[in-house]
Amino acid sequence: MSLTDRIARGLESGWKVTDGASLSENLTQEADVVVIGTGAGGGTTAEILARSGLSVILVEEGRLYYQKDFKMDELTSYANLYQEGMSRVTRDGAIAILQGRCVGGSTTVNWTSSFRTPEPTLNYWAEQFGLEELSPEAMAPWFDGREERHSMAPWQMDPNVNNDILRQGCEKLGYSWQIIPRNVKGCWNLGYCGVGCPTNAKQGALMTTIPGALDNNARLFHSLRADKLVMDQDRIDHLQATAFGRDGVTPTGVKVRLKARHFVVAASAIGSPGLLLRSATPDPYQRLGRRSFIHPVNASVAQMPQRVDPFYGAPQSIYSDEFNFRNGVDGPVGYKLEVPPLHPGMSAGVIPGHGEAQINNLAGLPHMQSVIALLRDGFHPESPGGSVSLRDDGSPVLDYPVTDYLWTGLREAFHTMAEIQFAAGADKVRLMHLDSDWYSSLAEARDAINRLPMEPHRVRLFTAHQMGGCGMGSNPQNSVVNGFGEHHQISNLSIHDASIFPTSIGANPQLSVYALAARNSTRLAQKLVG
Amino acid sequence: MNDHPTSSDSLDLDRRSFLKTGLGGALFLGTVSVTAGLSGCATQPAGRLSAVGTRMDASYQFRFLTRDDIALFEALLPAMIGPGLPEQPQARRIAIAGTIERIDAGIHNFGPANQKELRRLFDLLNFGLTRVTIARVWSSWPNVTTAEADAFLERWRTSGIGLFNNGYIALTKVSNVAFYGHRDFWHLSGYPGPPQHAVDALPQFNNA
Repeated sequence: MSLTDRIARGLESGWKVTDGASLSENLTQEADVVVIGTGAGGGTTAEILARSGLSVILVEEGRLYYQKDFKMDELTSYANLYQEGMSRVTRDGAIAILQGRCVGGSTTVNWTSSFRTPEPTLNYWAEQFGLEELSPEAMAPWFDGREERHSMAPWQMDPNVNNDILRQGCEKLGYSWQIIPRNVKGCWNLGYCGVGCPTNAKQGALMTTIPGALDNNARLFHSLRADKLVMDQDRIDHLQATAFGRDGVTPTGVKVRLKARHFVVAASAIGSPGLLLRSATPDPYQRLGRRSFIHPVNASVAQMPQRVDPFYGAPQSIYSDEFNFRNGVDGPVGYKLEVPPLHPGMSAGVIPGHGEAQINNLAGLPHMQSVIALLRDGFHPESPGGSVSLRDDGSPVLDYPVTDYLWTGLREAFHTMAEIQFAAGADKVRLMHLDSDWYSSLAEARDAINRLPMEPHRVRLFTAHQMGGCGMGSNPQNSVVNGFGEHHQISNLSIHDASIFPTSIGANPQLSVYALAARNSTRLAQKLVG
Repeated sequence: MNDHPTSSDSLDLDRRSFLKTGLGGALFLGTVSVTAGLSGCATQPAGRLSAVGTRMDASYQFRFLTRDDIALFEALLPAMIGPGLPEQPQARRIAIAGTIERIDAGIHNFGPANQKELRRLFDLLNFGLTRVTIARVWSSWPNVTTAEADAFLERWRTSGIGLFNNGYIALTKVSNVAFYGHRDFWHLSGYPGPPQHAVDALPQFNNA
C-alpha cells in the first residue's frame, strides 16, 4: 500500500489503533476522556482534546476502512460502511435511513456538501430554546475555523450534468440556485464520495481530525460497540463495550471496560439516545429520544434527451433554497432541493419496481437525472419529529410518523421537482412512488401528483440526515443537554453530535456538527485541563 | 414473540382486518415463525450446498438464507429481474445462483434486528398455509411459474395494505441491489463502471 496514504502512514508510525476483532481477552483501559463515535462530532472532539494534552480514547462500532478498501464498489461499501448494511429503516419500514458505520462515521460516506447552519435556524433556536449563545455572530468564527480545517469551499469545477439540470431548471423558472461548498482537497471529480473517497480528497473526519487525534497520542478502538455507560452515584464511572469480529457484525464475546474522568457521546442521533437509554441515565422530564428529526426526503427521476452519466462527477454541486424558508421559518414546511448521484445498485434499490418495467427504468440510467427535496422538519407544532427507543435486544430504532403537515410538503415538493425537470428539458418524469408512471408532460405529472395517495410505503421516503433525540436547550424541562452539549443531570457527560439539535437544520448537517463540536470541545478542554 | 400461543385458529381471522393493524401483523408474523419451525420448514442457514444439487459455487457458505429461502428466490428472481436474466440455461442458472449468494452476503451485514424481520417475512412466504392465505400463491415455490411469481409481486406492490407494500419493497430491494449492483450486470443499466483512468492510477487497484 502506498505510504502516501494518511492512514497507512500513521499506522506504520505507531498510532495506537486497536481492532476490537483482534482482542482475545477482556480489557480495561483508562483515559482523561472517552469519546464514543468517530464521526463529525467525535473526531473533532478527540482532536481538540488530544491537542490540549488530555489523554483520549476513541470508540467506534464500525471498522477502520481507508484508501486500500475504497474501490468504488457499491455492494462492498454498502455492506461495510453503512448502518445495518444499508438496510436501516424506521420502525414501520417506511423510511430508508442512510447512515455511516465506520471510522469517520457518516463523513466517510457523505456527498461532501458543507453548509453553515442557516441563520433563521440559529435565530429560531435562540427564541424557542433559549440558545442565544448560538447566534449567527457568535457561531461565525467556529464556522470559519471548521471550513478551514476541512478545506470547505464552493465547488470550482463545472457541475456534472445531473447537477447542472437542477441549475438550468431553476434558472428557467426564476428560482434561486447556488453552488455547494464541498470539503475536498485535490478532488478528482470521480463521483464515488458515497462509497468511500478513493483518492483521499474528501476532508472528512477520516482524513483530518482522526489522524490529528492519533498524532497526539489518542487511542482508537474500532469494531467495538459501546453498550452501556455505568454510573457511580451521580457520575459516569466507565463505559462497557463489546468487540465485533472481522465481519463487523458478529460479537466475539470480548468485553472492554473504559474508565475516564469525562465521557463524550457522539454516536449519532440514533446511536446516542440509544446508548443513553440502555444506560438508563437520569431523564426526569422524559426528553431522551424525543424530537428526532430526519429531513424527510422524497425524489423524482427524469429521462433527459442528453447523456447525464449521473454516476460520474462530484455528486452534489448545485442546490436551491428557493422553497426552504419561503414560508418563514415556522410556516408550511420548507424544503431544500439537491441532486443525488445515481449508481446502478443504489438506483435499483431506490426506484421501486420489478421485472420488465424495472429493467426499462434502469436501462435509461445514462440519461437519468434525479432531484431530491429535503424537508425542514421540527419548526412547527405539526412537525414534532419522531422518537428513538430500544428494541428487545437493546438496539435503537427510530419511529417517525409522517404528519399531514409533512405529507402536504412532500406533495408540493413532488410538484416542484417535476416542474424543474420539465423546465430543464426532460422527456419524461417519474416520482418515487409505488403508483407513479412515467409522465411525458408537466400537465400530466401535475395531474398525477394531485391524485397520488400520500401514504407510508407508497411514497418512497429517505433520510441521510439524522438529528435530535438529545436536544439542547437552556431549560432542562424540554432538553437533554445545555447549549454547550453538557448533560443537564450528569456532570461528567457531554454530547457532541447532531443528536443535540433541537430541530432539523435546513441544510446538510456536517458543518453544523463540526462547528458545535469544536466550540463545545474547546470549552471542555479548558475545564478539564484547567 | 415466542410466548404467544401458536394456533392455526389465528389464520381463520379475517385476513385484511387482522393485517391492517401493525401490531396484528407483527404478532401474526411471529406466530408464523414459530409454526414454521415446528412444522419442519428449513430454519437453519443452508451453509455450504453441494455444487451439483444447486448449481451454485460450492465454496459459498450461506449464513442466513435457508434451503427454503433459496427456493423462494429461485422462483422469484425470474419475475423480479425478468428479461434481464440471460436466456441461455447455464448462464441463467449461474446468474440466479450468484444473485442469491449476494443477497445472503448482504443480509449477513444487515445485523440481527433486520434479519429477524426478514426471517418472519421469508417464513410467512415459505410456510404453506400462509403462502396460500397471505401471498395467495397456491403452489410451493419450486412449482411456481414466472407469471405466478410476477402476479404475487404485483399484488403486494398494488395492495392497499402497508405491510404488503413493505414486503414488496423488502423483496425487490434486496434482489435489485444484489443483481443490478453487480459488475456482471452493469451493462444492463449502461453503467460503464468506475472510470478506467482512476482505476489505473490508484494504488488500491494495483495489488488486486
